[in-house]
Amino acid sequence: MAESNITSDFHLEVGDHGHDDHHHHEQGFLQKYIFSQDHKIIAKQFLITGIISAIVGITFSALFRLQLAYPDTAFPFLESLLGKWAPGGIIKPEFYLAMVTMHGTIMVFFVLTAGLSGTFSNFLIPLQIGARDMASGFINMLSYWAFFISAVIMFLSIFIETGPASGGWTIYPPLSALPQAIPGSGLGMTLWLTSMVFFIASGMLGAINYITTILNLRTGGMTMDRMPLTMWAFLLTAILVVLSFPVLLSAALLLFMDRLLGTSFYLSDIFIGGEVLHHAGGSPVLFQHLFWFLGHPEVYIVLLPALGISSEVISVNSRKPIFGYKAMIGSMIGIAVLSFIVWAHHMFVTGMNPFLGTVFMLFTLIIAVPSAIKAFNYITTLWKGNIRFTPAMMFAVGLVSFFITGGITGIFLGNAALDIPLHDTYFVVAHFHLVMGSASAFGLFAGVYHWFPKMFGRMMNPRLGYIHFWFTFVGLYLVFFPQHFQGMGGVSRHYYAFTEFSFMAEFLDLSKFITYAAWFTFVGQFFFLFNFIYSIFRGKVAPANPWKSNTLEWTTPIKPQHGNWPGEIPSVYRWPYDYSKPGLKDDFCPQHIPDEELDYEDGFEPPKPVKPKEPAQTEGSKE
Amino acid sequence: MDAQSLLSLTKWLLVFIFFLVIYSMALVLRLKKIDPFKEWNPTKINGGLMMLFFIVGTIAAVWSSAYWFPKFALVLDPASEHGVSLDRMFWRTMIVSIAVVVVTHTILFYFLWRYQDRPGQKALYYPHNNKLEVIWTVVPAIVMTILIADGVRNWHDIMDPDEATKEASIDVELTGRQFQWDIRYPGVDKELGQAHVKYISGANTLGLNFDDVKTHDDILATELHLPVGVPVHVHIRSMDVLHSPTLMQFRVKMDAVPGMPTNFYFTPSVTTKEMREIKGDPEFEYEMSCQQICGGAHYNMRRVVVVETMEEYQKWLSEQKAFYTTFKEMNPGMDEGKTADAGDIKEIGTLTSTN
Ligand code: HEM
Ligand SMILES: [Cu+2]
Ligand SMILES: [Cu+2]
Repeated sequence: MAESNITSDFHLEVGDHGHDDHHHHEQGFLQKYIFSQDHKIIAKQFLITGIISAIVGITFSALFRLQLAYPDTAFPFLESLLGKWAPGGIIKPEFYLAMVTMHGTIMVFFVLTAGLSGTFSNFLIPLQIGARDMASGFINMLSYWAFFISAVIMFLSIFIETGPASGGWTIYPPLSALPQAIPGSGLGMTLWLTSMVFFIASGMLGAINYITTILNLRTGGMTMDRMPLTMWAFLLTAILVVLSFPVLLSAALLLFMDRLLGTSFYLSDIFIGGEVLHHAGGSPVLFQHLFWFLGHPEVYIVLLPALGISSEVISVNSRKPIFGYKAMIGSMIGIAVLSFIVWAHHMFVTGMNPFLGTVFMLFTLIIAVPSAIKAFNYITTLWKGNIRFTPAMMFAVGLVSFFITGGITGIFLGNAALDIPLHDTYFVVAHFHLVMGSASAFGLFAGVYHWFPKMFGRMMNPRLGYIHFWFTFVGLYLVFFPQHFQGMGGVSRHYYAFTEFSFMAEFLDLSKFITYAAWFTFVGQFFFLFNFIYSIFRGKVAPANPWKSNTLEWTTPIKPQHGNWPGEIPSVYRWPYDYSKPGLKDDFCPQHIPDEELDYEDGFEPPKPVKPKEPAQTEGSKE
Repeated sequence: MDAQSLLSLTKWLLVFIFFLVIYSMALVLRLKKIDPFKEWNPTKINGGLMMLFFIVGTIAAVWSSAYWFPKFALVLDPASEHGVSLDRMFWRTMIVSIAVVVVTHTILFYFLWRYQDRPGQKALYYPHNNKLEVIWTVVPAIVMTILIADGVRNWHDIMDPDEATKEASIDVELTGRQFQWDIRYPGVDKELGQAHVKYISGANTLGLNFDDVKTHDDILATELHLPVGVPVHVHIRSMDVLHSPTLMQFRVKMDAVPGMPTNFYFTPSVTTKEMREIKGDPEFEYEMSCQQICGGAHYNMRRVVVVETMEEYQKWLSEQKAFYTTFKEMNPGMDEGKTADAGDIKEIGTLTSTN
């Protein structure tokens, strides 16, 4: 049954019959684990690549934090690790910037975009809407492999002679365009751009697949207003990707041309290395507009999946419906739309016309309203709940805390006048590390702890999870909260050392403290890493529905095979958030069980049977 | 092996042994199927820890804020006129923010502690409440509107000062290059002469156009001197990559963009001397930094800023020599007002790289 569905339905859509036979026979190792077209395997590939990227990215930060804490101290081990980039154990200023750039790029794009959205969109979309796989398994596979190539190129660039890109993750030209300006802008930058081209391709391939699948392959009864909030979050994220990544591609291509063909899109009137360059008429500000047209949606591409995951996790573990389901969807749509018209709040003091500043200030502060709605709704979901502190739940509520503390500083930065002093200080660093970095990382962790049983058929050890949570939650606050203080003291971003200015030197002690906290957090991550790897092989075997959750993914076999459900795909009879519904014996009520089959409390009059709503597309009910 | 390294070796050995002991204990417990934490109720513990985190965290936040408060030079003791209203707005926003964070976190952590899973407790089925939702849409919207109104006004005042201010202002030019700031004053004619990279030659690394007589009295300085109480019109240029001249104490920042001159108006209101008294630090100097990543020595683009009385300023200015005069002395053969053709620029440019 399942098999026939696969062949008859989605491979016809792809029009790619050549691949059908893979599904009928025993698959070889290559087909099954490497060039897999199964969304669950692809999700795991994204996750594991994301985790490896995170290890690299976080290690960089642990190293450059050493430099910030001890600007004049030699660490001999750095020389053995970094070679000529740290002669005598002291990191060179150029390589400090290279490490910061790599850290930012890897964390934002590889870990929190591909690792988060790539993993959970792939894993959850078919399982939660009741589909056998993505609309196109083949495109899905391409999406992963484009990401893989992108990651390989980026990691290779770390090892080249002139070092990796060093202009910050926002790669503003002319710094990123001129190898004379910094060594990392040579081959390193070329590789950065090449890597991003693959990354953008990966994002686009993934996103069109997610959108198509959610819109077309929902099972019987799964109307849009019965989808879990995770689905809404992934759908909106994918739409943001489709609309914004092409702009980054064009920005990157023009930069390529300026670098390689001598065009002048971003360059003008430059005197460097004792030479006047021929470039004339270009504008560095143009690049910033293009970059942030992607860049601001990108921060929501990173955050929305985390918000979706935490909505689901918080509802399940407080045993309560998510409060204000429609408002949650509405505010996510609001955020998604607004995120396209606020980009220039990153550019208030770049010399852009001040009138534009006013317009962007208005839109930017409006975006705080849907964000506030979300925060309040999370909190109300907890009210009078029956809260179970699973590790996933702890990370989800940690996310809410970070989202508030980090988001609130957006109100300062979004105010153009206040941004004059605050721009490019540690205040901004604190803002986005809390609201984007920490909150999204917590979304990622919550997702892994919550869906690990579905991914690997085993449970993660909850105690190690709690230890991991407390290390990370306390650690991240200790790292990023004091950075507000540094920002309010005027300490600048992207500084190799705070020793040259007296007002910054006052914060050296605090800088040391932050570095200790960063290492503390870093060490805590090993609890996760160990738990993750250990539990894949030796964890307790998972029960069918370990969290007593309503959503469809828990109706599959414990380790779902290709096609997800061995028999028919279940139909859906209600929204996914009926937890603790009065009159029911259980405190949950899976979406796929019709009203008349539920277990009611004695003396409770069950409602009359209702026919499932007409599904969007009768994919599941056809069988 | 000296005592020092022996000591550090022992330290590592002890750590290693510590982990071995823990590991073997875990193995034994596992083998004997003993769970030493069986009695522990993770929900209770974590619920309690959440409360503890909130209480300790709040105390730590308050204490550390108070401790560092005197050092918040970016938002205290403004040294410019617009800085006063900016700082006022900052602290107003801060009060709103602290209120929001404290209230939401108090509720959040209270709920986490209060509503932890208890036997026999059933959650309340409470999917929505339109009235509540309208309230917390409207209230933030109103607060935002107030903040926006304040912000727009300030932004406008700073970016587009009135004509009187513009009239009264003195000009000064800041040019960023890897890795220093060039400071140019207009000299007696009070007008900055024309400059462009195409006029760069020899020691004239700023690219002053000597055909434009207005450049002849322009002064290059190594410190930024400003008279107190007089509006300053800062003209900002970059020679190579983006920079961002930042006069932190004056709440001034604007990117330097190659090919696109930018500018900023501000009025210094506190002299260096007065600020030394306010800070109680006789060594205090105003400092100018760069806050847009520009390369290896980005962290080190420092210039001292001196704010003084008009008399002191004028005295200082009169002691400076016009750059054109110095340049002529260095190039005795040079024709009056003649510069290289554009065609020679590359060659000449290379000569200047010793700078
Ligand atoms: C309450 C809503 C928010 C407002 C009003 C806001 C406003 C701003 C503003 C104005 C800046 C630029 C600051 C500067 O460079 O001077 C900024 C930076 C940033 N924000 Fe937000 N933000 C908000 C929420 C978020 C969220 C939810 C995320 C991520 C999920 C985020 C991520 C970032 C990042 C990554 C940067 C720094 C980019 C960089 O310069 O490297 N912000 N924010
Ligand atoms: Cu933004
Ligand atoms: Cu700089």
